Amino acid sequence: MTGPVFAPARLPLAWRWLGSWVWRLEHAFERARAAASPHDSRRRIALVMIAFGLAFFVMGIGATHQALFSGNSAEFSGASASPYARAALTDRNGALLAVDLPHYQLYVDPREVWDVQGTQQALAAILPQAQAKRLNKALTGTKRAFVIGGLTPDQRTAIHDLGLPGLSFEDDERRVYPLGNTASHLIGFSDSAGSGLAGAEKALDADVRKAAVTGGSVPLSLDLRVQAALEDELRKAANQFTVRGAVGLITDVHTGEILALASYPDFDPNNAGAADPNALVNRVAQSVFEMGSTFKIFTVAQGLDSGTVRLNSTFDVSHPLTIGTQTIHDYDKGDTTLDLPHVLLHSSNIAAAKIALAMGADTVTGYYRNLGLFGSAPVELAESARPLLPQKWSQNVLASASFGNAIAVSPLAVAAGTAAVANGGTYVPLTIRKVEPGHEPKGRRVFSPQTSQTMLRLLRMNVLEGTGGKADAPGFSVGGKTGSNEKVVAGRIDRNKLVSSFAAVFPADGPPEAKRYFLLVLMDEPHATKETYGFATGGWTAAPAAGRIVSRVGPLLGLKRAPVAATDKATVEAALASGEDH
Amino acid sequence: MTGFFDRRWRGFRVVNLVGWGLLAAMILGVYLAKTMAWGERNQIASVEIQIRQEKLRIRLLEAEVAHLEQPRRLEALSAGALGMAPIGPKQEIALDDLHRFERQKPIPAPTLAEPPVFAQADVGAPGVAAKIAVAGPVTTQFAAPQVTQQ
Repeated sequence: MTGPVFAPARLPLAWRWLGSWVWRLEHAFERARAAASPHDSRRRIALVMIAFGLAFFVMGIGATHQALFSGNSAEFSGASASPYARAALTDRNGALLAVDLPHYQLYVDPREVWDVQGTQQALAAILPQAQAKRLNKALTGTKRAFVIGGLTPDQRTAIHDLGLPGLSFEDDERRVYPLGNTASHLIGFSDSAGSGLAGAEKALDADVRKAAVTGGSVPLSLDLRVQAALEDELRKAANQFTVRGAVGLITDVHTGEILALASYPDFDPNNAGAADPNALVNRVAQSVFEMGSTFKIFTVAQGLDSGTVRLNSTFDVSHPLTIGTQTIHDYDKGDTTLDLPHVLLHSSNIAAAKIALAMGADTVTGYYRNLGLFGSAPVELAESARPLLPQKWSQNVLASASFGNAIAVSPLAVAAGTAAVANGGTYVPLTIRKVEPGHEPKGRRVFSPQTSQTMLRLLRMNVLEGTGGKADAPGFSVGGKTGSNEKVVAGRIDRNKLVSSFAAVFPADGPPEAKRYFLLVLMDEPHATKETYGFATGGWTAAPAAGRIVSRVGPLLGLKRAPVAATDKATVEAALASGEDH
Repeated sequence: MTGFFDRRWRGFRVVNLVGWGLLAAMILGVYLAKTMAWGERNQIASVEIQIRQEKLRIRLLEAEVAHLEQPRRLEALSAGALGMAPIGPKQEIALDDLHRFERQKPIPAPTLAEPPVFAQADVGAPGVAAKIAVAGPVTTQFAAPQVTQQ
């Protein structure tokens, strides 16, 4: 082998190195052939064959796998592929509350329309809701234009059967609320882009969208049967007393589930945009009220639980209580001295104020805070309103708050707080999600079980003997407290405008851990009638409605109507008199 | 090894024949696999579309039922047409108390019911007409979907 001809010694080192490398590469085959054995070529052929064989084998496996198992199975999964799709909402028993249904959008291409006037008349006859101006603009335009959306399959078929040229449809899935006004404030509504705007639709928006991917549904805590009974009785009472607004709420005191929620007036979520703004207000969550005497439930429970008062404590109510410039009166029943049960039974403002003053601001506000009255009620609903609180807890404010003035809270907050009084003393957040049987939501202890037991008996006694007598539902052992508060209008108390309410628990008998429900009926500005002898207070307006509601929903909630014992009243009195509780 | 590569059958190297045979088998296998898979895939797609259509129909029917059974409507119908009202405590009885209603008299022999005879005046009475009007059929909100095969 001769040396490389491209690398003479006169060239620079780099050029010589490059020339040598090219030369060696050029003659590599010659060198290999000279040094090779006769079997090398066969080995190379065999190696190449094996390599190609392996490559073909791998490609074959890949092709087979692709042919058999490729493709997006979700394409035909049956779940809605629309990014705006929302899962159905159901009540706790599976009854349908909200669902996406196929609708259609109508488009017109004026370049294909032969008879503009005929087409306009035909469409107007089938679609009276279509805007004439928009239809005319679409028919006389120059390009394809949208006319109207939300057409039902029937309307689509009717238009299609006209056989008119230039008309076309596009799918338009719409949210439908088949129950109309029923539970409208709890269910809420969503926009056409699939975003929840109010109620559960907004509160559980992420869950609803997620469930839509799998084709599932989202169950709410609502019981449609209970809701229907509540709405029916609330509507009748609202009409009877020509109220400005009304509230009905039923919750499970142990799980915090909202079983029924009614706000009067209501609206049709299928056409929420056309609803009266006043009807859109969810008075259960969005509105705050000075509750009046229903707050005495908290005051008496706090007094007992803190050890400030006992059942046999007595209060002098013979004279109005004056604190600074404020004078607190009782509704005149000719009382001079009241024991604790009769403070509740006679709804004494003076005694309630004295209990609160004896406890002091720190103790009272500590209980209020633990009862969730200093914040918006803990529930998924975005509408849950914050309370209106006094800036300073002076003696005046403390006394006023003890009977439900000076502090305005939402009915949801009252429900969560009263549930803590009735369920053994644990504050449990409210929820609109269905809680599975056996699940015990976490809560915080506010009252002792002993206080809770005593309060249940006091509340029952108030229905048997006190202001809540008209709320009694035979066999369901209703306990509760009335509330009537004069509204402040333009900075002045208007004695003709009341917020009348009744907060109930049923059944009130049995141990604190027994199955039990809370009911609130509230009427905003009820008017007295001849049947109520000119009264519009909670005992005459809200309490009778509460009794009817309990009587109807008790069996639906699985409560057995107990035989009405002649000694019912005596039994409660004996239990309280025995001093076994406090 | 050398013998295997040199072996011939009717002038063709055996190794080549085996290679061609394997290639033909592979091509045929892939073809058959793809063909069968395509058929299965079409069948699955067809079934999935049917399922989707059925689900849609079920959804529509459920919505229709929910609309027709909405409590407010049923209450209005039952109260307006039938004069019904929520039951009271005296109309309820527990299962254990049913023995209080045990039969005191033998059951009378069944008699064929006579068809009711309506007087012309009854049919034409305004109250009857109103009840019939209230209880009449209602128009449905959601018709069956017009689903086309995709």
